Amino acid sequence: MPDLLELNDGLFVAITEADLVFKDRFLQGCAACHVPAREISVEHALAVEPFLNPKILAAIQVPDGVFEPFRFCLAFLATAQENGATIRTYSEVTDLLCAGKNVTGVRIRDQHTGKQEALKVDLVVNAAGPWAGEIAAKAGVGVPEIPTAGVMVALDCRLNNLVLNRLNKPSDGDIIVPQRATSVIGTTSWAVENPDLITIPPEHVDRMITQGQQLIPAVKKVPMRAKMAVARPLIARSGIAARELSRTFECFDHERDGTNGFVTITGGKTTTARAMAEKVSDMVCRKLDISAECRTRDTPLCSYRLFFQQRGSRNQSFVGAPGDRSSGRECFR
Amino acid sequence: MNMLKVPLQIFRYKPGQTPGYDTFTVEIPATAHVIDAIDAVWTSHDHSLAFRRACHHSSCGSCAIRINGLEKLPCVTRVTDVWDGRSQVRLDPLRNFPIVSDLVVDMADFFRRMSAADMAMICEAEAFLPFTVDTFAVADLEPKLVELPENFSRFTRFEKCIECGICMSACPTMAADEKFLGPAGLAAIHQARKKTLDPVKVEHLLGLADGEHGVWRCHSAFECTEACPQAVDPAGKIMALRRELIARRFLKMLGK
Repeated sequence: MPDLLELNDGLFVAITEADLVFKDRFLQGCAACHVPAREISVEHALAVEPFLNPKILAAIQVPDGVFEPFRFCLAFLATAQENGATIRTYSEVTDLLCAGKNVTGVRIRDQHTGKQEALKVDLVVNAAGPWAGEIAAKAGVGVPEIPTAGVMVALDCRLNNLVLNRLNKPSDGDIIVPQRATSVIGTTSWAVENPDLITIPPEHVDRMITQGQQLIPAVKKVPMRAKMAVARPLIARSGIAARELSRTFECFDHERDGTNGFVTITGGKTTTARAMAEKVSDMVCRKLDISAECRTRDTPLCSYRLFFQQRGSRNQSFVGAPGDRSSGRECFR
Repeated sequence: MNMLKVPLQIFRYKPGQTPGYDTFTVEIPATAHVIDAIDAVWTSHDHSLAFRRACHHSSCGSCAIRINGLEKLPCVTRVTDVWDGRSQVRLDPLRNFPIVSDLVVDMADFFRRMSAADMAMICEAEAFLPFTVDTFAVADLEPKLVELPENFSRFTRFEKCIECGICMSACPTMAADEKFLGPAGLAAIHQARKKTLDPVKVEHLLGLADGEHGVWRCHSAFECTEACPQAVDPAGKIMALRRELIARRFLKMLGK
């Protein structure tokens, strides 16, 4: 997927003595995970990142990169389509079809046509992200998932080339991700009831700007381009607050809840998306008595552009461009 | 939190039905962007409203629409920049695309054009910071040269173009020639041509640009460059392709 990644590495920087204390633990953790992290001089770090806080005490370079989430998803979907999958966008699951304790399909509503449709299937995989709990509830089962929102602030210019992280345990505003012509400061973390209704707390935006300045003081000089908050599906652990929850993933066979034909995959991060798909596919194969090896690790993804091209003829219904009575440019045309 | 009650007039169309406009009034923070207002309609008023969005910071290009008649990305357009405090804010789908439903247009032909150019989304990066779409927008920050990290021979960066389709909607030629490669397609050809010295690829790309639906169709209105949210300057790229094609013709006439 080389066309969808800015691979410019990352830096973890220590700003306080407490960060510095964390350094050895961080390096040991990287070594244990076979991540080739190496300390570089403060002078070199500042030459690489001239807007970095000049008071940093240490810098560690790690392999890292930035991807385009939307195009990344499209590349997966285009590849699935190329291999026979049908992708029903704008189709909301309104209910699960059940026969006794078995889930036998889904009822969907096409947002373009308003039509309801029942799809009968051998097995339903619930991969609804932060909505996984809502979908599972339709089958009368629970998923230990907490939709957890985080605020991100995008700046109106790019101030760093590498992904910059605070050298410490995860906390609010401890990362600045550069992408194309922007730098994005992230993130906060709080549990939300409804992933569709997330109100961005103004103080979270302020916190991003304040914390971001610790890494790059020039953050305060740059206009904000956008602010956003989306919910992540985190696996709940008793006694652990939303901020501390790990980004691990889990696959649940709801046969354990007495419900057949229904599997949930949730948690995780985009970086583990393929591994998640492999795990749930293996489970599906097991349940359907299919003997097959997962091949996605070695399968190159199709171009994301194919996603739309493959679907072009399905929904077309040209009604012409609506008029622009008040637009000066329209009059010119 | 200072809240606004903003009236929206949204284009509606569902297959088989007559197109028209619906009006909604949404209550949103004064700092909200237009995409937040559309979200509020979807969550609080009408769940059947179809629209596209993903990144919320002008990276994916998926949310492009027309706001009060002008092409914009609602994710980075503040409501207060397009609302006069009284009138309805009108939202329409992009022009020159088949409409699927409401604010959603069919991007298939657009991406066929982009695939024809085969522009890689990744390019080599300029070795300075800050880097911005419009460097003059950033006050008090002098560009500084950047040293490469160890084990790097270059930085990489995504192309400026986010394939939002705004330039195709703003282009007056698109309405006259539905096979016109369009500003985005021709700008992509220009970028792809810049990245290759392979004579076969160069011939292919310049052949596309020189074809019946290529650069000579452009009326030089520069609407694309004015509308582009990423400062790609598609019109400038079209003019550059024209210059190269003319130069090649002269050289050919001279037998070189």
